[in-house]
Amino acid sequence: MLTLLRTEYRKILPYRTFWVILGIFTGLLFLIVRSAASITINGQTAGPTLYNFPDIWQRLTYIASYFNLLLGILVIILITDEYGFRTLRQQIIDGYFRTDVIASKLLVLLSIAFFATLVVASLGLGFGLSATENASAQQITGNMMYLVYYFVQTLGYMVLAMFVAFLVKKNGLAIIAFLLYFFVEWIIRFKIDDSINQYFPGKVLNSLAPNPTQSIIDSAVGITTTALPPQQAIFPAVFYIVLLTVFAYLLLKSRDL
Amino acid sequence: MANVLEIQGLSKNYGSVAALQNVSFSVPQGSIYGLLGPNGSGKTTTLGIVLDVLNASSGSFQWFSQPYSGASKRRIGAILETPNFYPYLSAYKNLQIVADIKKADHAEIEKVLDVTGLLQRRNSPFKSFSLGMKQRLALAASLLGNPEVLVLDEPTNGLDPQGIADVRELIRKIASEGKTIIIASHLLDEVEKVCTHVAVLQKGILKAAGPVSEILAQQDQVLVSVAQTENALSLLKTLPFVENIIPEREWLKLTLKQGFSSADVNRSLFENNIIASQLVVRKKSLESQFLEIVNK
Repeated sequence: MLTLLRTEYRKILPYRTFWVILGIFTGLLFLIVRSAASITINGQTAGPTLYNFPDIWQRLTYIASYFNLLLGILVIILITDEYGFRTLRQQIIDGYFRTDVIASKLLVLLSIAFFATLVVASLGLGFGLSATENASAQQITGNMMYLVYYFVQTLGYMVLAMFVAFLVKKNGLAIIAFLLYFFVEWIIRFKIDDSINQYFPGKVLNSLAPNPTQSIIDSAVGITTTALPPQQAIFPAVFYIVLLTVFAYLLLKSRDL
Repeated sequence: MANVLEIQGLSKNYGSVAALQNVSFSVPQGSIYGLLGPNGSGKTTTLGIVLDVLNASSGSFQWFSQPYSGASKRRIGAILETPNFYPYLSAYKNLQIVADIKKADHAEIEKVLDVTGLLQRRNSPFKSFSLGMKQRLALAASLLGNPEVLVLDEPTNGLDPQGIADVRELIRKIASEGKTIIIASHLLDEVEKVCTHVAVLQKGILKAAGPVSEILAQQDQVLVSVAQTENALSLLKTLPFVENIIPEREWLKLTLKQGFSSADVNRSLFENNIIASQLVVRKKSLESQFLEIVNK
């Protein structure tokens, strides 16, 4: 397992695109979180209370969830490159089986998800500790489960991207298909009752980092949206991750390279 | 001798196009096996299937008389079509990845780069390489892990004359170490110069397979010159051991069935009161033999 991951990082670490996208992810997230405190709504500045433990975890993972698309695009680039360079084909010739290919990609996704969670955790601790005086350990770790939900969410987005990459093989088309999926699912959800559509993959993933102001929005608009709470959404999310991984494998197995 | 590769009834369809039809042959250990055929005859498709990148529509194959496994994959070094590497990585780093996958010692990398004459350029990115260098890097990669079998698809494609000579020399050297080499080529000359065995493919159909000496050399041509060409032609057409007659100016070019010689032709002519003024046995040119096999 570790050798598979090490081989993957021999490909990825010298690749500039990888660093550029992770740099954008980290940099933009930092800037947005930093400037969030100075946002003024109805003449009221949000202020540093925004960073207070333990609420910061939900706020932060909600903001970070918007960047999952960026990580998904990174995954699509990394996988479709292997088709473009025909290195996937060569590696199957050289000794990998299709299970090795899926396993090594999944390991990369896990490591990126781990990195992203680490970034979010560091931002949370950094901003949280600077804004909260005398924060107790209990305050800090309260709601830290949101980091786990976020990890599963970002992994879910990337596994979907992996599946699309193996399906479409071409980077531009795959990126469009990936982005289009969420839009199409969103449209379809309008036609289907919440009790069912709350189990749709996109909605399940989004439920893992719920909008902290959802209740306010709902009362303002006058409708209530039904979505699974994150502690429940995590089960279908893991199910979809496994399912998409299996689908990606079957796709790879059934087609010529 | 044991067979390194056995192929039974391999077929491959791309939609309604049959790229490969019921192809069977065996590659003996220690041979240099040429897969010969024009472009689009199914050479790469055959290799793609036995190298696990294409799914066969039907048929089966065994490497080393065993079920296919990661271990048997690593006993094979192969290049299929183009050299495939990460363009932004150096030659050395690309080979590190290959060595990882083949579970080969990284100390071998310098060695194979040296053998293929790329040692000085080991730190240059792959994208800066010329086609010939890319081809040689692919060859270097296939040598990693000291495989027992090399599968090379058009290994001299895109190389300059010196490069072609170098690659052929390298192939002979590797073969002399007792390794089995399978080469796909559309170059007759290449197959004749380096191969011990050959399989001829045409439009996905196996036309002939066996030792080069049997396939490409045995059927010599007998050239007959007679006064009464018409009579001779009608007689020769009735002879059971004459396979093919091509009239060419004053000559009749004959191909005989195995086991017959110019003496048989002479005797038959004489018995029928046709006197040959000239009777010549000519080694058939490679091209004409190939075309004959292919157009059969």
